[in-house]
Amino acid sequence: MSSAVIEVLAPRYGIAWYPWAVQYFFLIAVSYSALLLTVPGLLLGKKDFQPLARVALLVTVSCTLVGPVALLADLHQPLRFWHFYANLTPWSWMSIGSLLLPVYLLLVVVYAWLAWRPAMQEQARGDGWIARISGWITLGQWHSPRWMQVLSGLGALAMSVGIMVYTGAEVAIVKARPLWDTHWLPVMFVLTGLVAAAGLVLLINRLMTGNNEDVNRQSLKVIFVSMILSALVAALWVSEGITGFSPSVEQAFASLQRNPEWRAVALYGLLVGVALTLITIAMLRRAGWLARSWIAGLLAVHIGWTFRWMVLMEVQTVAKNTAGYYQYAIEAGSSGLLGIIGTFGLWLAALLIIDILVPWKKSFQAGAH
Amino acid sequence: MDKIRRALLGQIAKLTAGAALVPLSSVASAGINDQPPRREGDPDKRYAMLIDLRACIGCQACTVSCHIENEAPLGNFRTIVSQYEVEHEETGDVATFMLPRLCNHCENPPCVPVCPVQATFQRQDGIVVVDNDACVGCAYCVQACPYDARFINEHTQTADKCTFCAHRLDVGLLPACVESCVGGARIIGDLRDPESQISRMIKEHYNELMVLKPEMGTSPHVFYLGMDERFVSRPDAKPAIWDVRDQQGEEVGYEFSGH
Repeated sequence: MSSAVIEVLAPRYGIAWYPWAVQYFFLIAVSYSALLLTVPGLLLGKKDFQPLARVALLVTVSCTLVGPVALLADLHQPLRFWHFYANLTPWSWMSIGSLLLPVYLLLVVVYAWLAWRPAMQEQARGDGWIARISGWITLGQWHSPRWMQVLSGLGALAMSVGIMVYTGAEVAIVKARPLWDTHWLPVMFVLTGLVAAAGLVLLINRLMTGNNEDVNRQSLKVIFVSMILSALVAALWVSEGITGFSPSVEQAFASLQRNPEWRAVALYGLLVGVALTLITIAMLRRAGWLARSWIAGLLAVHIGWTFRWMVLMEVQTVAKNTAGYYQYAIEAGSSGLLGIIGTFGLWLAALLIIDILVPWKKSFQAGAH
Repeated sequence: MDKIRRALLGQIAKLTAGAALVPLSSVASAGINDQPPRREGDPDKRYAMLIDLRACIGCQACTVSCHIENEAPLGNFRTIVSQYEVEHEETGDVATFMLPRLCNHCENPPCVPVCPVQATFQRQDGIVVVDNDACVGCAYCVQACPYDARFINEHTQTADKCTFCAHRLDVGLLPACVESCVGGARIIGDLRDPESQISRMIKEHYNELMVLKPEMGTSPHVFYLGMDERFVSRPDAKPAIWDVRDQQGEEVGYEFSGH
């Protein structure tokens, strides 16, 4: 029997996670991805990768510091954050995350502190207020042994795996939203995180250092490989839906059926993805183009952020029970536009404060004997 | 927006007072995203609701009485009756279908294990409740509920939902929606009591009963009699009227979706 159904009065359910969530997921993904980019240069001591590690370390520290602020702001009762620690709940992914996050943050800060310390100790020998502050931050002129750097790095890396798993699982276990409920989502968060982190490294490499060619080349390679893997993952996800291998993905497709806006989103995603991959290849192949890698960097950051916006915000406009789709219009206030701009402003402030206080462009071994 | 922040400032004084700590003994052996042990409530009861759709006329008396009883903010509902106009495409015959919605007080409630602070929990009598003094307002439970039965209350800035009017049940009263239902369509009762009306009706109509979204594996405890299976999951329907409110929750008019 065929029939046309009209829902006479559809209540509109509000958005429960605000753009703060997008900011947190973006910053923390850039943070753990940039941490990975510091490994060859800083942890393994490979000379060719040290310029990359220097920029990536700045990116990871600034994003690690600001990300949790956005997360806190997404709580409707931010001052109750201590309830997380008073009521340990090991069966909740979010609770597990609340334990991992501070440890991760601490280890990243210690890792960076140890890396920047020799240059700061040298700076502390000078005159002026920066020298004085450097003296306080370095906690004296004693020599920090290499094993401390390695240990804090390994610890931060271990914790970063925890962050990757928890941020992905937290969203992917939500069966109520079939568009989230896929084991490919955590993988995609990591891959697009790598794309965005490498993109941000390209931008900072252009704006704050001398547009180092090695950094450009290495970052472009990271973007290229991550984009190819992302395409593979997306293809696998789509095929799971088409073949019905995953009923949940199939349901996800059904929930967007005949929606022109979502079709446009899919098309746009495909286009920018292909564009970035092609640009990356072109820039790696043509020597003259390498200096313009920052353009690829902009696009990469855009992809990393927009992916999270679509996943976390737009998916919330897909009704669970009622007919149609909710219209989400971003608010001007702190739970909307101001929150997004504010988070990026805070990140910029963190970046500039570090830039003022820390001679991060200097070789890691400066001052060490 | 400003209202939210103002409400938050008003809350600060109350923030810490009632945040009861959950005893560590309750941190049992549950695996990640498994159901934690139930607490509070009468272990000898299991509340459930049966909605006889044949008796529902879509008057929304339940919606209104719930709103008054539980003081939900304007535009948010702990229960609401979805109304559908169904037109036979060949004959052109038109019929209406009413579907009261509320929290399903599932046997496997996906909203409970996600809560990072154990503020939302299932009582031993099956009722899923929120401890508003403990809730941090992370809205994870709102995302996890497949039935849109939860929302963030803009006054309390914490999760809000139907509690089967537990405060009324506990003193021997019926939930507001049941009390006000003119057709007697809503029947609440104890499944553990074989003589209760709900137990008898479930036994009688066992093969005709349906629950919403059974594919979610939640085992809902709101049972529908006289249900049309096309409405069990998100119906393939067009929205006719959106209820439009501005940021202050003021009604600014009605908008036809234009399709």
